[in-house]
Formats: sequence, structure tokens, C-alpha cells
Amino acid sequence: MGGEVAAVRVEGLSRRYGAVRALDDVSVDLRRGVTGLLGPNGAGKTTLMTVLATVNEPDTGRVSVFGLDPANGAERVEIRRRLGYLPQELSFHRHFSVAGFLDYVAILKEIVDRRRRAEEVARVLSAVGLENLAGRRVRSLSGGMRQRLGVAQALLGGPDLLVLDEPTAGLDPEQRLRFRELLSDLPGGPVVLLSTHQVDDISAICPRVLVLLGGRVRFAGSPAELAATADGHVWTADERDPRALLSWRAGDSRWRHLGQHPPEGAEVVLPTAEEGYLLLSHAVDQPATAAPRWRPARRRTR
Amino acid sequence: MTNAPPEKGGPASRGAGHVSEHVLSAYVGASVDEVVAWSVEAHVTACPACRLALSAHVDPDHLARNRSVLFVRAATGEHHPARRLLGHVGVPDQLVTLMAATPSLRRSWLLSVVGVIAVVSGESVLVHHLSSSSLAVGRPDWGALAPFILVAPLTVLAGVAAAFLPALDPTHQLAAAAPFSGLGLLLVRTLSALVAALVPVVAAAFVIPGPAWLPVALLLPCFALCFLALAAVTVIGPMPAALLAGAMWVLPVALLSVWHSVTAVVQWPAQASWAAALLAALVVLAMRRDRFELGWRP
Repeated sequence: MGGEVAAVRVEGLSRRYGAVRALDDVSVDLRRGVTGLLGPNGAGKTTLMTVLATVNEPDTGRVSVFGLDPANGAERVEIRRRLGYLPQELSFHRHFSVAGFLDYVAILKEIVDRRRRAEEVARVLSAVGLENLAGRRVRSLSGGMRQRLGVAQALLGGPDLLVLDEPTAGLDPEQRLRFRELLSDLPGGPVVLLSTHQVDDISAICPRVLVLLGGRVRFAGSPAELAATADGHVWTADERDPRALLSWRAGDSRWRHLGQHPPEGAEVVLPTAEEGYLLLSHAVDQPATAAPRWRPARRRTR
Repeated sequence: MTNAPPEKGGPASRGAGHVSEHVLSAYVGASVDEVVAWSVEAHVTACPACRLALSAHVDPDHLARNRSVLFVRAATGEHHPARRLLGHVGVPDQLVTLMAATPSLRRSWLLSVVGVIAVVSGESVLVHHLSSSSLAVGRPDWGALAPFILVAPLTVLAGVAAAFLPALDPTHQLAAAAPFSGLGLLLVRTLSALVAALVPVVAAAFVIPGPAWLPVALLLPCFALCFLALAAVTVIGPMPAALLAGAMWVLPVALLSVWHSVTAVVQWPAQASWAAALLAALVVLAMRRDRFELGWRP
């Protein structure tokens, strides 16, 4: 992967909303395949994704998508022709049928021929398992079904760049597995940027992961490398350790701890990517010398 | 081959008089001419054994895909009477779908516009009738038209504003990230909304008691207001732009109503002002069209 040319290149990107600095000198390269984007709420993930989806303009910095510059009008349209975008909060025209909504998005994606549009809509509906709901009104769909519909519209036209902002939110475990399978089998090997709070999704399908904290990229590497950042910082014990940054009772009823300094003689265990991410976010949150205290894990429960 | 003569070489189970396997295979592969295809279809319609044999030749995946496409085509409403009617008068299929996603082209919105126009028209008719019965015949007094003249162009402006306000378009983020977006999409929506709202306004202007030139005289102010709003969007954002354009109509109409010369707002000197305003708005739109390209900033 080292010698591969980056399909999407971001250099020195900054974006402010009033006094809030959403992105602060962000530079990343995205290659073909799935890249996971992790970060707590407010870390700047959505801002980065909207910039890559060409619907938000950075204050400073440069973006290049397949060698095209989104600041240039004609090149921006060309990027959009190769883009599939799932916004974080996607709303729908509720009076549309499922197929009618996708037909509308297909027209926006310049698929003019009626027959080709119908074939494309049928293809993406089948990909997300909604083929039997083509005629259903969008307003009658459940949250998970709407999320799958959102993914389906992003897949229309077989995009080369997929920007998916929390696509697995609201999906049940089986649907998440199907989604992973779907991303793994995408034809043409597009560049996929996937933002989620589900670290296990990232570990399962992303060869590369970025961690965004406070508007800056704090980690870029593989999920295994992310896990390795917590090497020697995760230990188990029969009792809760008050010196740990985070503690939780594991499935075997033992306490699992995450902290900067395991006590002497502690049973240090192999960390997961999620623990690497949590340690990283706490290292940014507070100085290493801060008094250890228990804090609930920052996991979004669904 | 036809369904009439017995076919040699067919499967023993079906015997003579049926479609042979190689013809069925060719039919499924679309490699037979039209006459043979019709013969096969005529035969299998009446022959369960050949239908069964035909199904063995069909790729189930291909069949499932075709079935899905048919479901999609049915679900997109391509046979809806309104869509077919628009198709017959030459409106492209994709334009009809884009219009269906425009809030001010929904039936509920259009019915509301018709309702509002009906109320102000009725009010104008009533006031005119009462005033003409109590006053001596003389110089026509068009004061009764004030509510209609005030409201009618505003309904057109509201329809256009609804077509470009992001708050009323749940998919505006998707639209902004699509190749067909920006000013092109906006013009499709706003012009459709403009035409749809103008129909009841102009129709009512023909019906209510007023000067004969009123229906035509309303057109230019309506166009000017809508394009002023669009031009203002590029400077001050969608909602303030709609409010500003509304104020540009309400203020002069209100002032002229006080002076009992409300029709002056659509008469000759004012028409020149509306024409100038329309021209200026078009120039601003052309110069600042890039402002629509990045989508509405979050």
C-alpha cells in the first residue's frame, strides 16, 4: 500500500464555525478500499466528510479528488459524477415510494435514460435487501430500512468515491453484517470513507483507520496498529482499579481496565482497536499526569 | 417452427406438436426472429408442458432482475395518469420526477393557493358589488382589488420560495452533492412552481371585476419578484431573500392602497420599474450563479 498513489488527498484543511474550530490543519490521503473514520461527537468527522462530498468549503487547505479540484466549478461537477454520499442526517420526501425516491436521486446523478434508471434502482435495492419494498412509501419504513435506503442512494451509479457518514447507525446486527459484506464486495474497488462509532465495524472491514480528535488527525494506520497503541495499557483484575481511566466488567465477570500505568504485577492483556481508540481519545482529553478516575466508556449504545 | 406442425426432436415427455428444446433455448437467448418468437409465445400460452420446459431454460437470476426492474417501474408511477398526461404534452419523464419533489407543486400546496386566490377574489367581487350598488356610476374605482393585488403575487412568490428554501427540501444535502444541482436544478424547480402558481392567479384576474389588462399586467411583477428573490439568495441567504422580495411588493401596494390608486403598482410607469428590476435580477443571477454550486452551507 505504501507506493500506491492516493486517490483523494487533503492538505492543511481547516474549517471554523464561529469560534469553533471544526477542522485544524488536517492532512490525509485516501486510497482505494475502505478507510474508517473514528472520533467522538464534535471531533470534525462530519465537516471533513461534507468537504469531501463538495457541499462544504474549507477556510484553508487543498483537496484533490482523483486529481480534480473541487474549488473549480467544472471539476467539482466531475467529482460529483463519481461520488456517492450518505449524509449523517438524511431526510426523505416522505410521499415518495422507495423506488420513486431512488429514481429521483438517480436523475440528480444524471442517469437520464428511464430503463437504465430502473435497472440501477433495482440493482441498489437488491444490494441493500430492500427489493421487495420498492413500492412502499418512505414514510412507512422503519429507521433501519431508511438507513439502508440512504446507503442504496449512495450506491447509485457505481461511484468511485463513497462518503458514508455513520451508515450503520440504526442497523441491527444482521443488517450490519450485510452492510460489511456489501462494502467488501463493491465492484470496481472504490475509495470509501466510512464514519462510525462502531469500532468493531471498522476493525472488520477497514484496512485503514483515521482517528480525528478535536479537529486534528491523531492516528492513521491499520486497526491492528490502533490496537497496538494500547499495548501494555489494558489489564484485568478481580476488583475495580480506581487508578484506571476506564473500567468495565467483562463477560467473564472480571474487571477490565484501561489506563496509562497498570499497577505492578497486573495481568496485562492484549488490547482491542476500540481500547486503542479510547486510550487515544483520553490522552488528548487530559494530560497523562491527571488524577486517575473512573469515567464511563464513550460508547454509543443502540 | 409454429405451434401447429409437430416438431421432431422434442422431448419424449411432450411428444410431437410441441416446441423443440433447441427452439426454446434459442427463444430464451433472444436469437430467434420475430415470427418464431410470436409462434413460441402463442404456443406456450396454451401449452402447460411447453411452459414447464421453457422455465427450465430461463436463468432464475436474470428472471429475478427483470422482475425487480418491473416492480421498480411500477413503483415509480410511470403509468400514473398525471405523469402520462404530462408526457403526452412533451414534458420529459425526468422533469416530472424533479417536479414531484418540489413542495410547491404538491397537490396540497396547489389547492391551498387556489383556496387563497378564491378567497381574495371573492372578497374583491363582493366589495366591488357592494360599492357599485351604493355609488353612482362614474369613474371606475378599483380599490376593491387591493386584497387581490396584494395577495396574488405573494402566492406566486411563496411557491417559488418553497421551491428553493432548503428547510422545505428534505434532500437538499443530497441534491447539493449531485452533479445536477445548483442553479440548473433551482431553475427547473422555481420555473415549474412559478408557472403552476401563475395559472390560478391569472385565471382569477380574468374573472374578478377589474381592468381588462390586469391578467397581463400581473405577469411582469410576478416574474420580477421571483427572480429578485433568487438573485437575493446569492447575497443574503434563502429566507431573508424571500422576505425581502415579499416586502418589495407589500410596501408599495400598501402605500398605494392608502392613496386609493392600488392598480398603479401594475400600470405603465411601475411596469418599467418591474422590468428594470427583472433585468437587474437576471444579471445578478448570471454573475453570481456559482453561489448556488456549493450547496447551502451548513
